Amino acid sequence: MIDAMQNVFWILIFPGFVFTLAVGLFASWLVRKVSALVQYRVGPPVYQPVADVMKLMGKETLIPRDAQRAVFVGAPLVGLSGVLLLSTVLWLATAQVTYVGDIIVAVYLMVLPSLALILGSSASGSPHAAVGASREMKLVLSYELPLVLAFIVVIIKTAGLAEPGEQLSLAAISQHAPVLSISGVLAFLVALLCVQAKLGFVPFDIAESETEVASGMMIEYSGALLAVWKLMQAMMLVALPLFLVVVFLGGIEIAGWSLLWGLGKYVLVLVLVILIKNTNPRVRIDQAMRFFWFYCGTALAAAVVLASLGNYYGIAWL
Amino acid sequence: MDWKLWSLKKSIWVFHVNAGACNNCDIEIVNLLTPKFDVERFGIKLVGSPRHADAMLVTGVGTRQAAKRVQEVYRQTAKPCVVFCMGACACGTGIFEGGYHVAGPIDNIIREVDPGAIIAYVPGCPPKPEAMISGVVKALSALEPKEEHATERVGQPVVADPG
Amino acid sequence: MQQNELDNQLSRIQDRIAGIERKAENRVFLPCESANVYEVCRFLFEDLGLRFVISTGIDAQDCFEVLHHFSDDECGCVVTVKAFVRDRDAPELDSITPLIPGAEWIEREMHDLLGIKFTNHPNLQRLILEDDWPQGVYPLRKEVQT
Repeated sequence: MIDAMQNVFWILIFPGFVFTLAVGLFASWLVRKVSALVQYRVGPPVYQPVADVMKLMGKETLIPRDAQRAVFVGAPLVGLSGVLLLSTVLWLATAQVTYVGDIIVAVYLMVLPSLALILGSSASGSPHAAVGASREMKLVLSYELPLVLAFIVVIIKTAGLAEPGEQLSLAAISQHAPVLSISGVLAFLVALLCVQAKLGFVPFDIAESETEVASGMMIEYSGALLAVWKLMQAMMLVALPLFLVVVFLGGIEIAGWSLLWGLGKYVLVLVLVILIKNTNPRVRIDQAMRFFWFYCGTALAAAVVLASLGNYYGIAWL
Repeated sequence: MDWKLWSLKKSIWVFHVNAGACNNCDIEIVNLLTPKFDVERFGIKLVGSPRHADAMLVTGVGTRQAAKRVQEVYRQTAKPCVVFCMGACACGTGIFEGGYHVAGPIDNIIREVDPGAIIAYVPGCPPKPEAMISGVVKALSALEPKEEHATERVGQPVVADPG
Repeated sequence: MQQNELDNQLSRIQDRIAGIERKAENRVFLPCESANVYEVCRFLFEDLGLRFVISTGIDAQDCFEVLHHFSDDECGCVVTVKAFVRDRDAPELDSITPLIPGAEWIEREMHDLLGIKFTNHPNLQRLILEDDWPQGVYPLRKEVQT
């Protein structure tokens, strides 16, 4: 009973829904403010994402006549719950509440938001949304494989350093910083670009490109449902860079000054994402597929080989 | 002021519709959305879908071809949505008064589908971006409910102070 | 080609046109009757290699005038073929679209707004008037009041 209550508290309040939402809204303000400073202008005030979501809640929610109602309404909620659980798992892992195999759970949960986007836009009954859905499907096919491969590189490296069987638990992975090695650097860079695509930022925001397909996937969403999508995107800004920090950069220790250092790592990854976003144009879907499959795939193949060699010969910096 | 009005004033998402304009007003709207004027600090953002819009920026005299389409786009917006008539042509047909292709100024076209629509006018040919910002701000403060008259205060009659 | 060379070349179709009017330094008008329009335009476009710019339709009180503008980019001279369409009740003119595909839409627009029928036009449909505008009402004719 106490256990169930504790789980509910973890999922709904801290570090689950309320906490991730607060940090996510702040992170999305940070993205807009840094983008504004990079473009030499003043950005929005700090309460802007909150005002956006509040305004969306206050508008009417229109559901198109041709839309498939159940999926149209359910898809944002599925995406929100996916990213919510992912964030909970990651924060609990940094607090050492973990189990063997939770990285696999995290990888599965990570797919849920993208899947929900595809389902929701397919159920919209609009040709623009269908184009957006097909582009998002192709994009997901492109970057999911390199992302999982990058995590496998980390698992290989952890296998050489941790107890046998422990390499599949996030807590053990976050004890070491795999980025301090050649294969780790390769895997980190590829994973960073895959996260850029998953967050839907330039140069990979093909699916929700405003000027091309009239905001593609979310064209028919309005009011409260659109607010749920925006919340999901804000929470992804917490979960995904945190995933990178936990897996590659050595996690966040909840102890005094190390906590600040850990949060600094999260902010560093977020700023990297923002800078890539502001300095690149949008690519076409075929360019994105070629980039992820050929270039990232080759880099990761080399990283896997290096990591295995490093394990076999006991060289840590490979 | 309740939270709905506060958040609507702080976060306005605009959608641009061209109802037969010569493109001068459209160019000024696009200028408005560049980093030089930085409307993001007021919460104004350009959206690609009418369903996401709080303000519809309509340019151009409503031609007969465009009138039905503008009405359709207005019906697709999620209310509350304010219609801004940008430029002299949108406010009152401008120099195209009485033309064979004119279906009426934008407010007549919109009032046909929604008599209670909120419409704001920004005149100019084309209006400067600063005028557009000022128009948007004025329209949003006009959404607030007016203060009650002193004579309607319940319970006590208002007596003018003689001295 | 240079201006004086252009003038020499234009004298080759002297018989098809009613004269060469020079309104300004680089502005030449070639008035002709509607039967000769295609031949004159073919001469300008193919033989002299001028570039087709645009066409204009005018309702002059006693006839319609269709002007086809050609440009000589080297010397900056615009040569305009001015065709008189005398019959106001059933105005007809040869279309130059088979010669210059780029003239298709401007001829459709002149047909919409002035009612001039272009023979041999591949696609003479409504272009700029709205879908339920009444057929047979041509807005830019002088007698139509709006």
